[in-house]
Amino acid sequence: MNNVAILLHPSDHVATALKDLEAGDTIVVRLGETTYSVILREDIAFGHKYALRDIAEGEEILKYGLPIGRALQEIRAGEWVHVHNCRSEHFGFRHETYGIHA
Amino acid sequence: MEILGYERPDDQLGIRNKVSIIFSTDCSRYVAQKLKMLFPEGTQLFGYPGGCALVDGAFHKLVALGTHSSSAAALVVGLGCEGTDAYSVAEAIAATGRPVEAIKINEEGGDLCTVERGSRVLAQLLQHASTAKRVPMSPGDLIVGTECGGSDATSGLASNPITGIAGDRLIEAGGTYMISELDELLGCSEILAERAVNDEVADEVREAIGEAEQRCFRSGRFAWGYGNIMGGLTSIEEKSYGALAKSGTKPLQGILRTYGLPPSKGFFLQVGEPGSGFFHGDPEGINQFAAHGAHIGLFTTGCGSTTGGLIPVVKVIANPNRMQLIRDNADFDASPIVRGETTIEEMGEALYAEVLAVAAGKLTRSEVFGHFEV
Repeated sequence: MNNVAILLHPSDHVATALKDLEAGDTIVVRLGETTYSVILREDIAFGHKYALRDIAEGEEILKYGLPIGRALQEIRAGEWVHVHNCRSEHFGFRHETYGIHA
Repeated sequence: MEILGYERPDDQLGIRNKVSIIFSTDCSRYVAQKLKMLFPEGTQLFGYPGGCALVDGAFHKLVALGTHSSSAAALVVGLGCEGTDAYSVAEAIAATGRPVEAIKINEEGGDLCTVERGSRVLAQLLQHASTAKRVPMSPGDLIVGTECGGSDATSGLASNPITGIAGDRLIEAGGTYMISELDELLGCSEILAERAVNDEVADEVREAIGEAEQRCFRSGRFAWGYGNIMGGLTSIEEKSYGALAKSGTKPLQGILRTYGLPPSKGFFLQVGEPGSGFFHGDPEGINQFAAHGAHIGLFTTGCGSTTGGLIPVVKVIANPNRMQLIRDNADFDASPIVRGETTIEEMGEALYAEVLAVAAGKLTRSEVFGHFEV
């Protein structure tokens, strides 16, 4: 066993890179009986997330089984998920005037 | 693994056996330190380093720490005019049946006279402590608190989740587990409210995290910055979930605001009393756990830490590089998760085993090095 990415909850939409990963890599993550095999569409740096499956615009994105934000656009499996395409409900939208764009 | 505890007159069971040297104000800290130097073995030094201390929190904390399960007896050294009156602190400790003496420097004849009498008192108290009765303890008797500091991407991914598993195992064994740092839990109030044992506790947790959120908005200071974004965190919520992972999955029994033992077993959020701390650093967090009866502190870090305190601190590191770079101070190597060699579940079980080993007497690095940040 030598995983290069980690899935934290079976219901998650994203996995997190445990090392720098490159576009075109096929990454397998497992948690219990849940397995995802995804071809990366972009480079994913250590600590960053990629989509495990296609995510619709406006859909809640789960990590730890909890919503980290909503998709600002359609996100395809293998794409990088970050501040450019995901924004949190509470701190990202409600408190935008405070300058916290994340 | 058999845990042999130390029985106290108030029926608490300790995993360490110390005589407390307590300075009730900053003005008596130096003399208390001299006494600690004269009797380095078997004693622990702490106090209120904040001056006149006319707030209840400071008093409650000194008494809670002086009556901690690891404290067999106490010597309280005061100047004489502080709000945390040395005689009153001693009286409250004495009420638990522990031997205690108080000395006020401004009544005793000054520094030298206090050191002389304090030395005689400590000699007696140390002999008393050595006679403490040993009794078997179960994991269910233990109280453990977890905080994080110097967090990096590995904290939320690996080290915090494994403490959550260790905390769950402890609670399943009948024990008590707590986390703190509400400023790091913004966005988690509904999740924790759903875990609350009743509506009252649910409202309390909403209120407590709401206060923390308001404090952050007022001051404009969030535990959030571009470093987090560069590191891969997308939202404050995502970062908070990484901190929340310390909490495990068990029902939330309540919020701990007043120092002293938790009202029941199980999982708690710790807030602490205003005015009780000198500063809000990591060691202060560990000592606040101790003031709620914690036997052991777990400390997760990605950037590394030297933190010690009045209880054994198990430092958990999952960043493979940092594990090497601060190896002298690291207690638990969780980097196999980040290297992809093991699972969070397996490491969580191993951490729980380490907690039991420390309870059974294994010294942590902070203890070996004598860290006692107060």
